[in-house]
Amino acid sequence: MTRKTIVIAVREYQAAIRTKTFIVSLILMPVFMGGSIGVQVLLRDKVDTADKRIALVDCTGRLAGAILADAERRNDIGIFQGEGAERKQTQPRFVFESVAPPAETSPDALKALTLELSDRVRKRELFAFAIIPADTISHAASSTAASSPAPPAAIAYHSNSPTYDDVRRWLTSVLTKHTHEARLSDANVDTKLVMNALSPLIVDNLGLVSREVTGEIKAAEKTSELATLFIAFGLLMLMFMVVMISAQPLLQSVLEEKMQRIAEVLIACASPFELMMGKLLGTAGVSLTIVCVYLLGGLFAMERLGVAGLFPKHLIGWFILYQCLAVLMFGSMFSAVGAAVNDLKEAQNLVTPLMLVVIVPLFIWVNVAKEPNVSFSVIASFFPFATPMLMIVRMAVPPGVPAWQPAVGALGVLATTVACVFAAGRVFRIGILMQGKAPKLRELIGWMLRG
Amino acid sequence: MNAVELERISKTFKSVKAVDDLSLSVPEGSIYGFIGPNGSGKTTTLRMIMRIYYPDAGSGAIRILGNDHSAAANDRIGYLPEERGLYRKMKVRDLLKFFLELHGHRRNLSEPIRSWLARLRLSDWADKKVEALSKGMSQRIQFIAAVVHSPRLLILDEPFSGLDPVSTEDLREAILELRRNGATVLFSTHDMHMAEKMCDYVLMIYQGRKVLDGTLESIQARYGADTLRVAVEGNGQSLASLPGVERVADFGRLAELKMRDGTDPQRVLEALIARGRVTHFELTRPTLHDIFVRIARPKE
Repeated sequence: MTRKTIVIAVREYQAAIRTKTFIVSLILMPVFMGGSIGVQVLLRDKVDTADKRIALVDCTGRLAGAILADAERRNDIGIFQGEGAERKQTQPRFVFESVAPPAETSPDALKALTLELSDRVRKRELFAFAIIPADTISHAASSTAASSPAPPAAIAYHSNSPTYDDVRRWLTSVLTKHTHEARLSDANVDTKLVMNALSPLIVDNLGLVSREVTGEIKAAEKTSELATLFIAFGLLMLMFMVVMISAQPLLQSVLEEKMQRIAEVLIACASPFELMMGKLLGTAGVSLTIVCVYLLGGLFAMERLGVAGLFPKHLIGWFILYQCLAVLMFGSMFSAVGAAVNDLKEAQNLVTPLMLVVIVPLFIWVNVAKEPNVSFSVIASFFPFATPMLMIVRMAVPPGVPAWQPAVGALGVLATTVACVFAAGRVFRIGILMQGKAPKLRELIGWMLRG
Repeated sequence: MNAVELERISKTFKSVKAVDDLSLSVPEGSIYGFIGPNGSGKTTTLRMIMRIYYPDAGSGAIRILGNDHSAAANDRIGYLPEERGLYRKMKVRDLLKFFLELHGHRRNLSEPIRSWLARLRLSDWADKKVEALSKGMSQRIQFIAAVVHSPRLLILDEPFSGLDPVSTEDLREAILELRRNGATVLFSTHDMHMAEKMCDYVLMIYQGRKVLDGTLESIQARYGADTLRVAVEGNGQSLASLPGVERVADFGRLAELKMRDGTDPQRVLEALIARGRVTHFELTRPTLHDIFVRIARPKE
């Protein structure tokens, strides 16, 4: 590496990190990315706790009492968080009103009642109402199918707030429990015995057992699918953000040098390759700065949350290597685009396919993370433009990948990066002094191949 | 020794031959003027000297400061392109430091910067951003960026274009001082008056080919004393029909008459006296401007 490359890299680095845009991007990027999660967490307790009045029409005549009693119990103890002075209501009370079913059993009478209750909902006297059909309890017994269970009995739940589902879900659970009890009781079966027999099981998500150096067998640790996916996603997004913050501005930087006629003075002092490498290395420096800020910030936040053990320290070295290669690879492509065009509008046409290449890993990362060692994931992670992001995702998910894979992946990315820098250097040398019409893709490829 | 030697150099862009079989030698320590109409190949030639463009494969050689053409030579060259710009967000001092470092300087960076800023009366602007400078100031800073590393060869593409008279004078003096200190200066210009006053040698390129090369005196000697500078009271247009006069350049107060080969100036004077009162009559060599126009004017 020549001294000129270093001088250009230092200038590029300083020019990038001293701008307000950089500082704002550094702060805003995670805010945008994590904002929705953060807002949800912040607003978790900021729900409307006003009472929800629900009318219940129990045509069986046997379930309403138990449901009202459960609702009372929930309102007394189930909607609060904290203890003592800290105790705070976090959910609304469900206040049930038992409405007598119509005296006549005709469908018209039921329809009239439904309309009356709907009007009360419209007038906001009620939040919702539910109608339990008369055959709800006897429904299972009337089923003739011997081998399969009867289809669920349909309970009509009416509301004017289809997106608010808490009442319906609570009602489903409570109603199911009491209906089961009633049906078992009618069949003269010991309800308690059956309920105990049908109590759900818990399947623990565990890692593998291993032998310690001392020879002892170390028990498997509990693993969490969500926590593992979160780590993989965090690393993927961090790499994506770093590429977007540091590599994409290279396009504007090269375009600025071209439009403001700085390029000719520069390539009189340094070769196009030195200039290109200098700009790329400066950008890699910028990306390392971003990564350090975000990783240290992430570690600090995880320590505060008491989950520092989840921080993937063993991946940091690979992450930094892949991230630097990704920045160099995509950065060279962005700067070639900047050198080839004359303004940002022309750049958009060439940047769109490039952006697609950058974001492809975001579309398939979930499949790769769920099954990191199936053929699809392995092949996808060896596609050089996707390797940096997808290999890190695979490595973040237990049991990890065979040791040779990240190394071969890195070599593939390195070779692609060298080819990209070489091709971009040719485009850069020809395009940087070119004015007038932007080159077509075919011309660009010609520049890359013939120089 | 020659600071720059081009030997039968050509450069073709697609089907257009921008420079055609051009040879030139710029003696060390001289000021060498490069003239020619727009699109004649001046900038392309200067860019080839700077290794920004490569000559056509198979065309001749370029030697700079006694060495074969190599990137290392560029550190000893100062280059001011015709289309120039600077990083607008950088401070003037940082920018000049950057160019010094880019030319391989590592130590004592402050002194040449301070000295050049003082020389071109820009010391107060050292810590201002480039975007805060006026156009004239930016052009002077660009000149400093080209010379701050004390180059042995200075290549300036239209250095005076767009400058006000004061800045032009500042730059002219700076160029002459650099020459006094041993630098060779090669510059292109459209200002024939400036070229006549400053250049030891002049080269004219036209449609990619060299059409003039040598000292001003030798070029003028080739054309001989074939120009009359006259002032006649009365209607200047009638001068066109004088016997033996090929072309008239009327400047208002004075007119320049290009005589046909073999014309006797006395006959022209007699014809002039017959037409009116002659207040000025001078037999002279053609100016560089006149020579330029004779070569570059489209044939009627």
